[in-house]
Parts: sequence; structure tokens; C-alpha cells
Amino acid sequence: MVKVYSFQGCPWCDKVKKYLQARGVEYETCDIEESEEAAKECQRISGDLAVPVTTIDGVNYVVGFDKRKIDELLASA
Amino acid sequence: MKERIHKDVVIIGAGMAGLTAALYCGRMNLDTLVLENGIIGGQIANATDIENYPGFVSVKGGDLISTVQTQAENFGAVVDEFDEIEKVTLKSSPKIIETQEKIYEADVVIIASGMNRRKLPLPEEKKFAGRGVHYCELCDGAGYNGKIIAVMGGGNAAVDAANFLTKYAKKLYLIHRSEFRADEVSQKKLRANEKVTIMLQTEIKSLRGERRLEEVEVFDKKSGEKKILAVDGIFVNIGVEPNTQLFKDELKLSASGRIPAGEDCRTEIDGVFAAGDVREKEIRQLTTAASDGTTAALLAEKFLAKLRG
Repeated sequence: MVKVYSFQGCPWCDKVKKYLQARGVEYETCDIEESEEAAKECQRISGDLAVPVTTIDGVNYVVGFDKRKIDELLASA
Repeated sequence: MKERIHKDVVIIGAGMAGLTAALYCGRMNLDTLVLENGIIGGQIANATDIENYPGFVSVKGGDLISTVQTQAENFGAVVDEFDEIEKVTLKSSPKIIETQEKIYEADVVIIASGMNRRKLPLPEEKKFAGRGVHYCELCDGAGYNGKIIAVMGGGNAAVDAANFLTKYAKKLYLIHRSEFRADEVSQKKLRANEKVTIMLQTEIKSLRGERRLEEVEVFDKKSGEKKILAVDGIFVNIGVEPNTQLFKDELKLSASGRIPAGEDCRTEIDGVFAAGDVREKEIRQLTTAASDGTTAALLAEKFLAKLRG
């Protein structure tokens, strides 16, 4: 399952989610403001709290909106 | 091989100017595409309380622009915010807009690409961009909950950003090289917050840190004193610059980097219009962006009618 670390009101997070929806990809939203666990997990994955962070395996990830990198990430799954 | 697609009108930029142009073009039954490389809404996407747009006592930028997008789409305009523009050729007929995935041939191009935040003019900016140096409070502020934040700048946008970021910051520095230019109301709110230290007449000299930003070196111009501040993140708000990189080989730009065009939005190239903040003009407001979008669309339709006899 694709996970998007994000928070409400973050415009680039919304853009990533809209892109995944447009591609018909199901994803889980992990809100780093609402959940301390999600924030810790985001920090562990990318070493930072800059969002959006998109990941499938919790190891490979894309920070921000980069269509090509997100496509590569999805293709590698 | 990229697919080639013809459009009556391609609008570059989905801010207020671009989406208003799309709304009008759609209503006139023109085959219209809007391309946006960044965030729909541009500079107003993050605005929390817009109180000077007629018809609304107060409205969030995101809500307002989302409504205009819906209006444009209801009239048949298509908005693509995912396919990034790589190259434009405006002097040819039709005009060519090449994106990552497609090649668009357009009879009319309306440039409404707006403005971007000015980058921090220090060599370390690249090293720390996204790792302590940020340009969007709403996007990245939440990552600094309980941390030490600095905001660079002294205009309304900087002070509003600082006021917003106090909800996350354990401590916040507002650093500005001269005196405040922000409205008194916003300044007063910031000064009243105990977490905030305001450092005017202060320049940022360097950024330091191993993997991410850890310290900022500042210079107090009044006392001549240098200081090192422990800072987790800095949000840069030192003005905006026109988003015209894509067009610099196609159009002559003004000294400020904007596109010269009169109130009719016509540029030096037939069938190419400039609308909104990217156009060289004296007043740049949300209302004038909507006005430019309207003018560009209506004159685009006239241009197309003439072109097709």
C-alpha cells in the first residue's frame, strides 16, 4: 500500500494525493500533525519532517511532488 | 514519441489570471487547456483571509481559486497540473508547448505564470533547501513543531508567515535587513507574542549545519556585532520574482524580468498574451489579475476569429 506522509492544508501534499487519485492508485494518508507515530515514522524514513513523503516499502521514498520519481516508485512496486 | 495535440488556447499558469482567462475562453467555446507546473492558485493558494476581493467579506485563497477552477472546468476548460512544461516556442504558427508527456500546438498562448518567492541569496541555500531552508510556511511549518524557527523578511508576507509559524515554534526570530514594511496590525500581533524576538537592521551572513540547518550567522548593522543563532528552520520571505524563465528566449523581458504588455495584455508576438502579475504593470492585485485574465481571453477570441477569417 502506498503511504503519503502529509498534513491537512499542505498544498503539495494535496497535489500528490490528487495525482495518485488521477492514476487510480490507492493510498493511505499518514498525518504527521495528528499522529505522533506518523511523525516519527516520517522522520525515520526520510530523516526529516518535510512533507509530502510518498513511500511504499518505508525505505524508498519521494519528497515533494516529482511526477517522474513518483512514477518510478510506483513502477518499482 | 510524444503525442501532438491541437488546442485553440493554451494558458500557462493556474492562478487567478490564468483561471479567469480559462473561464472566459471556455464560455466562448474555445478548446482551452491550462497547464500548471506548481500549485493551483499560485501565490493565493496559501492565503488564509482574503478581504479585498469583491463579493466576499473574507475568503480563503484555496477556496476562492477552487471555485474559479470549477467555473472554468464547467465551461469545458481542462486544467492539467501534473504534466510539466519543458519548452515553449511562441514565434511559430501554431505556437508549440512541449511538456514532459505531450506536444501542444496552440493558436493562442496566454502567459499567466505569476511570481515565485525569491530565493535566499547565499551559496549554502542549495545545500539546505528543504533541509532547514523553506519557502512555504503552510507546506513545511508543521515539521517544526516545538523547534526554533527564523523568518527572513520584513514585509506583510514575512510578518504574516511569522505570526502563522508561532503556533509551531518554541522560539521564533524575525530577521530583517532594514525596518518593517508590514502593516501595523500584523506587526503589533507579532510583537505581542512572547516567543518572538525581532531583529531589524540585521543581515543573515551564512547558514551552517552538517546534514541540515543548525545555525544562522547574523550581523547587526547598528551595533556591528556578529552572532550565531541556533535555528532549526528558516522561512524565507524576501519578496517575489516573475516566473518567466521559460520565455526569456522568446520574448523581450523588462528590467524586472516581467513581460512587457499594455492594458490589452498583447505582447510583441501576435496571439501571445501576458496576464496577471507576470505582466509589467504598476498595480498587481488579485482583482487586476482577474481583470487581465478577462481581457486576454476576450482579445484571444478576437484574434482567433480574425485568424480563421
